[in-house]
Amino acid sequence: MLYPVAFLLEESFNVGDPQQFPAAEFGLDNYRAIADDLHVLGNTAEVAAIATVLAVLFGFSLAWILTRTSIPGRALLERLMELPYYMTPLVGALAWGILAGPKTGFINQVGHLLGLSGDLVNIYTPFGIGWVMALFEGTVAFVIIGAAMKSMDPSLEEGARVLGAGKLRTIFTVTLPMVAPGVLSAAVFVFAEMLGAFAAAFVLGIPGRFFVITTAIWEATLSYPPDYGRAAALGLSLFAVMLVTLGISRRITRRGSFATISGKAFRPRPIDMGRGGGWLLLVVCWTYIAVSVVLPLAALLLTSFQRFATVVLSQSQFTLDNYATALQMGTLGLAFRNSLLLGFCVATIGMLLTFTLVWIVYRSRTPGRGAFEYIGMFPQAVPRLVFGLGLLWAWINIPIPIYGTLWLLGIAYVTVFLPLGMRTLAGVMLQVDASLEECAKVCGAGWLRRMRTVTLPLLRPGLAAAWLLLFIASVRELGVSIFLMGPNSKVIAPAIVNSWLSSSSELSAAMALLQTATVFAAMLILFAAVRRVSGERA
Amino acid sequence: MTPPGIEVSGLAVRYGDVPAVQDVSFSVARGELVTLLGPSGCGKTTTLRAIAGLEQPSGGAIRLHGRSVFDAGAGRNVPTEQRGVSMVFQSYAIWPHMTVAENVGYGLRVRRLAREEITRSVDHALGLVQMRDYAARPASRLSGGQQQRVAVARAIAFSPDVLLFDEPLSNLDAKLRAEMRVELRELQQRLNITSLYVTHDQEEALAISDRVIVMQGGRIEQIGAPEEVYNRPGSRFVAEFVGSANLIHGRLLAPAGGTVSFEVAEGSVLELCPNRQPRGDETIVALRSAYIALAPAGAASGANTLRGRIHRRMFHGDFIQYVVACPAGTLIVRRPPTELFAEGADVTASFAPEHCVLL
Repeated sequence: MLYPVAFLLEESFNVGDPQQFPAAEFGLDNYRAIADDLHVLGNTAEVAAIATVLAVLFGFSLAWILTRTSIPGRALLERLMELPYYMTPLVGALAWGILAGPKTGFINQVGHLLGLSGDLVNIYTPFGIGWVMALFEGTVAFVIIGAAMKSMDPSLEEGARVLGAGKLRTIFTVTLPMVAPGVLSAAVFVFAEMLGAFAAAFVLGIPGRFFVITTAIWEATLSYPPDYGRAAALGLSLFAVMLVTLGISRRITRRGSFATISGKAFRPRPIDMGRGGGWLLLVVCWTYIAVSVVLPLAALLLTSFQRFATVVLSQSQFTLDNYATALQMGTLGLAFRNSLLLGFCVATIGMLLTFTLVWIVYRSRTPGRGAFEYIGMFPQAVPRLVFGLGLLWAWINIPIPIYGTLWLLGIAYVTVFLPLGMRTLAGVMLQVDASLEECAKVCGAGWLRRMRTVTLPLLRPGLAAAWLLLFIASVRELGVSIFLMGPNSKVIAPAIVNSWLSSSSELSAAMALLQTATVFAAMLILFAAVRRVSGERA
Repeated sequence: MTPPGIEVSGLAVRYGDVPAVQDVSFSVARGELVTLLGPSGCGKTTTLRAIAGLEQPSGGAIRLHGRSVFDAGAGRNVPTEQRGVSMVFQSYAIWPHMTVAENVGYGLRVRRLAREEITRSVDHALGLVQMRDYAARPASRLSGGQQQRVAVARAIAFSPDVLLFDEPLSNLDAKLRAEMRVELRELQQRLNITSLYVTHDQEEALAISDRVIVMQGGRIEQIGAPEEVYNRPGSRFVAEFVGSANLIHGRLLAPAGGTVSFEVAEGSVLELCPNRQPRGDETIVALRSAYIALAPAGAASGANTLRGRIHRRMFHGDFIQYVVACPAGTLIVRRPPTELFAEGADVTASFAPEHCVLL
């Protein structure tokens, strides 16, 4: 992990021949050059700010509606709120490109049919990019804010009511101050994520030559001659900013933890919204689902079956060719198979590795075990794209010939997804009381027997969840793969991007749907597994 | 002479730089039940876990039935699974993915006993805790009390040398706790198994133990039989933590004859019969609330009587607690519910010299 970052650092100071390793001359020129890229930084800040405001707005409203009001079907809606996260911003961006592109976008086509002359919407704008990012990051904000709202002891509010405060006064003097740290932390976290976001800015920004940091890095690397120094300097700056922002977010969470003192999950007494209000809120929730999941998927579905994307069904020519191409076309079919293969391997190896790490951190007495946690969580602070870039150089310069092979991608994935796996497993490990394992020890069982008969069986649901999450993450990975994939090691997400840039949106739609279907299938298995296990326990 | 069941000498455990247990030494005779009693954070559970091998001590030595299992000086540390101890956990630690019988038979399977023998021992252990009918049931479908019984059965099934209890009753409701207390004590005596029991409940400790070890701040405050710890607390901490006690401040008068006199702030003089030679600088006398008799004012006089007025009366059911305002200070007095005094009534409080403990 540190090794690629060190390489980046060296390269960012290299002002000599960018292709030369190790660098011959050092200087600050690459950083000075950032000044020329000021508009890129401005673009990044603009898009990230728009996305953050929108995402927090979505997240807050949804969290408030779903945790504090009595609307019908809350449990189902809460489940559905996770869908946009699994949809991935790449697929969302493609779909919104099809939906709201100028002239040919479905929404504009409808507008033209109705006799409007201009375009109704144009997604290829900073606001459009921010909108798409926010739709998919809104889920993250929802989860963070929702957790803060749920963990609030209802007796705190009841206390205010008993002392004579009205509904509104209670909200302003008790509820909001208690939830504020959660909202703030969500905002900062989302902002950091948005700074490093790639897919939406790429799909919707590149055609209009609107660059943010991540896409500028990509461009600097793939242009000819490649400007690695500039890419590295940009990447490291982004890394630094993200690190600081994530640090702030952590501090806020820690300082503001008064909302979660007891660690118990409360179900606050819902506010009765009456019939009309309830329906209105319900519509808000379903609109979010529709805009972030249903509409994009429908657009992709329609497009993928057509020869030319159109919403005017009488003109459309339906075909299955796009799917046939996606599955058969030499490289594309290969990319799909590669992604699945990588998903299986990365999930399996990653699960074993994270289990070992988590066990060492939480159960063993190894000295310095706390350090493992930091090592495991570190990749989270590094933007994927920047990490991919670092790995690229690191492995080009190592005599082991794995550059351009699936091995390299596999190694990169396992490293990048370590935090995901560790968080998932740590949560489960902490729920399983340590005394269960200690008891086996007292009963005379050695380490292997303890693992086999007690620890692993108890962690089985967690292990299954970690495996599937890693699998899903691998199949949809874009940022790292875009740098590391070679001609013989294509994977699906970058392949979709390439096809979007070079050929037809119809083919891209078919590929995106195939990817989404894979992810959703894995997700369904995940939910089914979790439900079965929790049913057993109950 | 046979060595004791548990022998702990100079035990020290540190968490980082924080000492959790310091210089703890005691022994438990074979077949004896000894309780480690103290408030949370006093090091009692840490001591227990160090004996089980679940904590790594930083110093001292532990011997079980004469066999050294830990010795900081010799660098000896036998892993938990080879110590031959058994333990009942506070959380019960019942494995939810196994049946009751599988839970109980775990230690026997680990020891590779024959199938028939395992079945027989499991059956016997479940019989001892009256859980035979539940053998085939999944362990996740048990009530708290049932889990408790299964945990005990599992702990005794493989006939361990030493049985450790880590606050086993603290998760049960009051009534069940009182019942299980009796059952555990009977089971321990029937099996005659060397036991060390950790609790923060002084009533529980006094009720079930052969001897009680009171701990505070990682150190031992006092070791003794329950009556001894209650009647003759060795320190202010023990007096206040075990049972209910009044602390009366004053100073020792020069000893005259066989008795020791203690002058209370406003001038009354108490007579004591301490079980040790006073040092001379003691300023506190501890007096158990239950050992103070109350009478209407003027009825009794003589040595060790204090005049006072009932300030508050609280009816507790099994006893009445009076707060008596005396010139020497406030006394807490517990009397049977038959002895009724009105709030505001003038009374005389009296107590025997042997119940005044000089601290």
